[in-house]
Amino acid sequence: MYFSDTQTIAAPIGKVWAFLLDVNKVAACAPGFQSLEELGEEHWKAVVSVGVGPVKAKFTLDVTRPEMQEPEHMVVKGRGKAPGSAVELSGEMNLTALDDEQTRMDWEATVVVSGTIASVGARLMQGTAQKLTGQFFDCLKTRLQVPDAPDAEVDSVNG
Amino acid sequence: MATEVFKHGLGEPYKRKEDARFIRGEGKYVDDVQLKGMLYGDIVRSPYAHALIKSIDISEAMKVPGVVAVITGKDLDAAGLAWMPTLSGDTEAVLALDRVHFQMQEVAFVVATSRYAAADGAAAVEVEYEPLQVIVDPKKALDPDAPLLRPDKKDKQPTNQIYHWETGDRTGTDEAFTDAEANGIVVKQDMFIPRIHPAPIETCGCVADYNKTTAKLTVWLTSQAPHVHRTLFAIVAGLPEHRIRIISPDVGGGFGNKVPIYPGYVCAVVASLTTGKPVKWIEDRSENIASTGFARDYHIHAELAADKDGTVKALKVHTLADHGAFDAAAQPTKFPAGLFHICTGSYDFKHAFVDVDAVHTNKAPGGIAYRCSFRVTEASYLIERMMDTLAHDLGKDPAQLRLQNFIKPEAFPYRSALDWTFDSGNYEGALKLAMKNVDYEGLRREQAEKRARGELMGIGISSFTEIVGAGPGKHFDIAGIQMFDSCEVRVHPTGKILARIGVQTQGQGHETTFAQIIAAELGMSPDDVDVEHGDTDTAPYGLGTYASRSTPVAGAATALAARKVRDKAKKIAAYLLEVGEEDLEWEPGRFFVKGTPGKGKTIQELAFAAYTNCPPYLEPGLEAVNYYDPPNLTYPFGSYICVVDIDRGTGQVDIRRFMAVDDCGTIINPMIVEGQIHGGLTQGLAPALYEEVTFDEDGNILNGNFQDYLVPTAMETPNWETDRTVTPSPHHPIGAKGVGESPTVGAPQAIVNAVVDALAHLGVRHIDMPITPWKVWNILKEKGLTAD
Repeated sequence: MYFSDTQTIAAPIGKVWAFLLDVNKVAACAPGFQSLEELGEEHWKAVVSVGVGPVKAKFTLDVTRPEMQEPEHMVVKGRGKAPGSAVELSGEMNLTALDDEQTRMDWEATVVVSGTIASVGARLMQGTAQKLTGQFFDCLKTRLQVPDAPDAEVDSVNG
Repeated sequence: MATEVFKHGLGEPYKRKEDARFIRGEGKYVDDVQLKGMLYGDIVRSPYAHALIKSIDISEAMKVPGVVAVITGKDLDAAGLAWMPTLSGDTEAVLALDRVHFQMQEVAFVVATSRYAAADGAAAVEVEYEPLQVIVDPKKALDPDAPLLRPDKKDKQPTNQIYHWETGDRTGTDEAFTDAEANGIVVKQDMFIPRIHPAPIETCGCVADYNKTTAKLTVWLTSQAPHVHRTLFAIVAGLPEHRIRIISPDVGGGFGNKVPIYPGYVCAVVASLTTGKPVKWIEDRSENIASTGFARDYHIHAELAADKDGTVKALKVHTLADHGAFDAAAQPTKFPAGLFHICTGSYDFKHAFVDVDAVHTNKAPGGIAYRCSFRVTEASYLIERMMDTLAHDLGKDPAQLRLQNFIKPEAFPYRSALDWTFDSGNYEGALKLAMKNVDYEGLRREQAEKRARGELMGIGISSFTEIVGAGPGKHFDIAGIQMFDSCEVRVHPTGKILARIGVQTQGQGHETTFAQIIAAELGMSPDDVDVEHGDTDTAPYGLGTYASRSTPVAGAATALAARKVRDKAKKIAAYLLEVGEEDLEWEPGRFFVKGTPGKGKTIQELAFAAYTNCPPYLEPGLEAVNYYDPPNLTYPFGSYICVVDIDRGTGQVDIRRFMAVDDCGTIINPMIVEGQIHGGLTQGLAPALYEEVTFDEDGNILNGNFQDYLVPTAMETPNWETDRTVTPSPHHPIGAKGVGESPTVGAPQAIVNAVVDALAHLGVRHIDMPITPWKVWNILKEKGLTAD
């Protein structure tokens, strides 16, 4: 499945980039996010629970960031599994400064789901994946547009 | 007494003996088997359709409370059991070793003290995969850049092509086409018969119980062919065959799905051999649909040559068959595409040529005969669609075109262009009866009136010919074992009978039908005959129940075994009545002296004498065994007429009438025959309008459950109307032909022909199954005909 969208964020590009660099902040926006553990440099283990139609599954994801060009380009890859299911994610973000206070984020994501969750949830898969992806980027935008309260957000992530 | 005899002889709607236990909920299925200390198995399956297995870690699974063992492909490999033979001579991984070939493929088997612990253990097995390119579309399987899906057999099969098979007269066929192109008409049509699944309500499963003391393995198995399974277990596992007992108890629907051996069975047996405890493994619904034997999946291109007046001349068929990851098609050894070359159907073709290419894809293995005698459904569908296409192109009535081209009743036995010998038939009799029953001419007038008003109504005909009852053994075998069948009749001193048969019932009513055959042969009540089957320790060897072969083969064996009993009873009667055998006459239930009807002995009296006063020159006792190798197949047939109305708002197809005229030769029990036809018609309706196993491009099955895989329920099933003609088989001892699959084979094309007929005036020539409302609505939209 392939998704893409463009969002305009009312924040300067430097702030957006800094936010995206902070994996804890980004992960907290992932729907169903449960935990994040650092395995090495640019390498994390994330646990996310997802429900598609009648099936719920807890995915353990192996996450890497193979490409980064400050402050405008980032690629995130994730590969994970749940009992009987597997998922591969690839997300790419490009930032463009529209002016001092406005940043455009172009993103695209490819999601390949295999196994029970793809089979039993087949009819709902596209819609669910689109909804979750949309929620994720909406969350990023919302948090980025909160006027400077970075400490409180870190707290909420840790909580 | 004679009145009583005939009340329950052939042709009587005797109530099914087996129903007493079924309607009381007292049937005993495999999952009802409970043994002391029994363990439970669950299978770890691949989420990927094609991937390498990098590692399997069972350590967490072994920590799950209740988990006793986890078996992987490597464990089986060490015991030489990682691969098993399929019914088509391929080898299938029992548990994947280094590679998975389809989604839901078996990867590990977890054994635990409860079903729940087994499932928890299976969820805890960590498998690391490396996904590979997936081939879902069989048309891409032969692309030069397609990955080789079966590197394990690359030495003998260097591409993804499993076989190329052809039969018929290529030159004569080509000449007939050249001639028709110049002087007649040639029609061509592509059609796809989608992958469907038998989806029996009882899924597959087993209980394997190895007794270390007696060294005997007992397996309760959802098996349509218990004896063949016993032999295969003996050969594959190296166990002595007399120490294996397969019991196929009540089976909740087979439809071909329970002919193959599945990895779960082998794993349960290995687990029982290893632990010394009974191990139960029962599939869930998704496992059944997604991993066990599917049916059909034929991509067909057909061409038909005819004279301008519609007289058919030649048929040419090319087919691409998708067999999935392993070639586990259930076919007699000699015929890789089964009996597909029955595809000239009920029509007198002078020339025909058929070829089939089968390929591997990353889909579940199969190609089983789903309520179908080895690809007959595919064959019958294509010829009935082609006859309608020819009628359409010629502007002829499809019924008249059929009547014009039928093999005539006096032409039997008829040798077809593809070398089958049809035993008997009266095709025009069946079609004319169906036409009369529905007032065909009246329906055509109604259709014309409706068309004028913009309403969509269609009439579809299917005049199918079936080919069932395999053997003969010299031509038909499964994994080398010849397709004969058997019956043993044991008459007790008081004249009551225990009969055992080599076939096995999954709902067909064998316990009644076979009792009626014996009752008719010996002139007694079927109440006095009990029929046992499905236990390899007691039943005589047989090839099993599928492909409508029980009555044509085991039914013949039963009649002949009963006749052996009667022959011996006659010798005893001659002794008791002090006359020569030639002086005796038989009436149902007794022998009497010719000309002196008062002087006679009933079969019960003769049975008693066999044990109490047997002639000194005869062995005591009264029993007989017959192994029957049929001299030919039988050819049931029928004509179905389907009437549909199409809703222009929704594209919904409503089957208003469905008239099924069947001819299965001599009828043993008309009530059972009618029940078989009702069930079979419903399973013919299923692919026509609802069922198709679908996959996404990554090889995920998209409808491996009853929420998405649309098995018709009572809500979707129309009112079936049935009628019959009777054209006995000349070579079968009682003239019976078999009926179980006729309606499944004959129905889909009647429905498709009706829908196409409803839209034919709009230029619609063909619609592939399943004809969903979405497909029809799109056609209506394209033609500007959707109602608001």
